[in-house]
Amino acid sequence: MKTEEMIARLAEDLRPVRRMPSPPVLLALWTVLAASVIGLAALVFGTREVLGRPMTGFDLMHSLAALLTALLAGLAAFELSLPDRDRRWAWLPLPAIGLWLGTMGVGCVGELVQAGLDGIRFHVSWPCLQFIIGMGLPMAGLMLWLTRHAAWIRPGPVAGFGALSAAAFASIGLTLVHPTFGPLMVLAWHGVAVLVVTGLAALFGPRLAWRGKA
Amino acid sequence: MSHAQPLCLMLAPGQVARDARDLRWSALMGAAQAGDGAAYATLLAECLPFLRAICRARLRDATEAEDAVQDALLTLHRVRHTYDPARPFRPWLAAIAERRALDRLRRRGRQVARETLLDDATELGAEGEAEERLAARQLREAVGGLPASQRTALQLTKIEQLSLQEASARSGMSVGALKVATHRALQSLRRRLTGGAP
Repeated sequence: MKTEEMIARLAEDLRPVRRMPSPPVLLALWTVLAASVIGLAALVFGTREVLGRPMTGFDLMHSLAALLTALLAGLAAFELSLPDRDRRWAWLPLPAIGLWLGTMGVGCVGELVQAGLDGIRFHVSWPCLQFIIGMGLPMAGLMLWLTRHAAWIRPGPVAGFGALSAAAFASIGLTLVHPTFGPLMVLAWHGVAVLVVTGLAALFGPRLAWRGKA
Repeated sequence: MSHAQPLCLMLAPGQVARDARDLRWSALMGAAQAGDGAAYATLLAECLPFLRAICRARLRDATEAEDAVQDALLTLHRVRHTYDPARPFRPWLAAIAERRALDRLRRRGRQVARETLLDDATELGAEGEAEERLAARQLREAVGGLPASQRTALQLTKIEQLSLQEASARSGMSVGALKVATHRALQSLRRRLTGGAP
């Protein structure tokens, strides 16, 4: 078919569309959705008993870094999903990610120094993995749905940052419902779980999105 | 100094015209989002040279470039709700066209790599494979002998492996007509290549 004929056909079948909200508005919507999911999880599992006590400085910094990662990775995903946005939006969440991973690392090293090698119990924290992956993957699915138009533009980075945002929110949710805050080594498992969710979404998200758009 | 001034004078009106054109395209796209088909047709027709320029800069083959233009138009159509009329239109359009042209370029690269591998394989087994080459030529001739609509259907659905919707948008044939044409093309090829057997 000639291109001119194609234009005529596209214009002939044209239907009105609802303009997409701007990335900050989408981020606000996403944050409300994520907060609702976390709130629901807190209702189902109950909040940890130490929640009433003031957080330590370290706890606070770790949680703030996770929140910052969730928000900035979400904003980057929404911006990158649009064709005309600068690819440098991808740099925005990196400092927050660094700070977040840094607090996890510092926590682990600190504990190692305090208790010595023998004092640390190396164990797989399955509840953390299950919680973050179980909560992060459906949230990542929600994010993929919100950015589904990116299948045509930058499917990989959008799915990756979207899932990172979802997993960071899930990690915050976990610190709220954790029965006790646990050894700092547990934080490392948050990181592993977040990496799993992000990696899965970056690998399979674009394929799902492409299938959905056909 | 004497050169600088005319250059500035030449650039300035061009800049103004470009901005005015962008505003016009932006307004037309806004109307298209609201469902105005006439505005949409005008916009796409006016954008066509711009899209072709981008795709031809990336792809040397004229047919390939025109296919990329059509891909870009389809993408534009599908993501038209993502355009914000408060922002310039051209960067949005150019990003889509560049993406589709790059996709074609990558696909072409992979195809060439495969063809090279096949050529090597043919050379390695050249002695015993004359018959296969003859069969390939017969197949090409048989495809060439098909009616245009069947050839198009075969090309889009089987060779380019587009979805029926994409093939329909590209060819202007309905999904039903595409299915029938592909089926008939395959039947016809089978008949010709097996010497008239059904």
